[in-house]
Amino acid sequence: MDTLLQDLHNYTDSLAQKPLFGLLLTLLVYQGALWLYNRCNRSALIHPVAVSAVVIALLLKISGISYQDYVDANQLIYFLLGPTTVALAIPLYNEFHVLRRQAMPILVTVLFGALAAPAIAVGIAWGMGASDEVLLSLAPKSVTTPIAIGIADQIGAMATLTTGVVVFTGILGVLLSPAVFWLSRLGDTRLQGVVMGINAHGVGTARCFEIGSDSGAFATMAMGLTGTFTALTLPYLIHWLGY
Amino acid sequence: MLQGIIVLLLFQLLGEILVALTHSPIPGPVAGMLLLWLALHIKRGPSPEVQRTAQTLVQYLSLFFLPAGVGLFFLPPEIQRHWPAVIAAMVAGTFITMLLSAWLIRRLGSSH
Repeated sequence: MDTLLQDLHNYTDSLAQKPLFGLLLTLLVYQGALWLYNRCNRSALIHPVAVSAVVIALLLKISGISYQDYVDANQLIYFLLGPTTVALAIPLYNEFHVLRRQAMPILVTVLFGALAAPAIAVGIAWGMGASDEVLLSLAPKSVTTPIAIGIADQIGAMATLTTGVVVFTGILGVLLSPAVFWLSRLGDTRLQGVVMGINAHGVGTARCFEIGSDSGAFATMAMGLTGTFTALTLPYLIHWLGY
Repeated sequence: MLQGIIVLLLFQLLGEILVALTHSPIPGPVAGMLLLWLALHIKRGPSPEVQRTAQTLVQYLSLFFLPAGVGLFFLPPEIQRHWPAVIAAMVAGTFITMLLSAWLIRRLGSSH
């Protein structure tokens, strides 16, 4: 009996290091969070990524599995972000005739948002005495993850902090969206998509696709423009400021 | 499904190659998205297969951010000292910028 238990113990130990366990953990927790989200009429307040991230972090801490092991196990999930980004070309193409008519307002708002988002976030953290490294990691917070990681590498920020901050900015964007659209009295779901794409990148865009494919296409457009503009300007801006 | 995956991965590869050749700061997948978008204009629309695969993937877009989001709970101790500043910058910063951009687009954009 003892040897059987020992075998089982050894087996579960090695299982924790295999991709199967970490991958299944992500998918199971996310499926559960999706179920809860749908039960609550897709309320922004219980965003499935936010709920899942907290639950998974707790489970990892309790079971003593390192974050590195968990991330290694989830390479497949992370990889799918690439082809999914490419796939956004299709809604962009399908809704292009509508997007074209709003090109100027979208462009102006993107330019404003892409400059205001890092300036305001870094300004607040600077006022609260954060270190240079933290300030740099906060700068690309509103752009989509692959662009943000690229920028973080270029400006010498901490990639792990940047990635976490970016994902949580996206979640916050979704959580805050009902309040923001109520306060600004912005009822048009397409224009709401623009605001979400600028401030909450892929996480916000995903939320917009739940509302409608036109809203999602507007968000995709705004997200792509914000990311591209930030990637082209932020590294030079930071260099010019003397970092 | 398979055909759709192949098309998407192929365009991602083309994007990565383009970025590597031009030393552009834009990530490969974003360049791939632009290339596919151009190709769709030439071809006048996606095949049903590509359309279906894209729809399935986009539906799970937020799931693909999850492993990276978990990382926020496992930051080194020297960063944890700055938690209040990081949280304030994320919450207040996002709220202010969202509100300002919502006001701006409501003034500029025309509703349908």
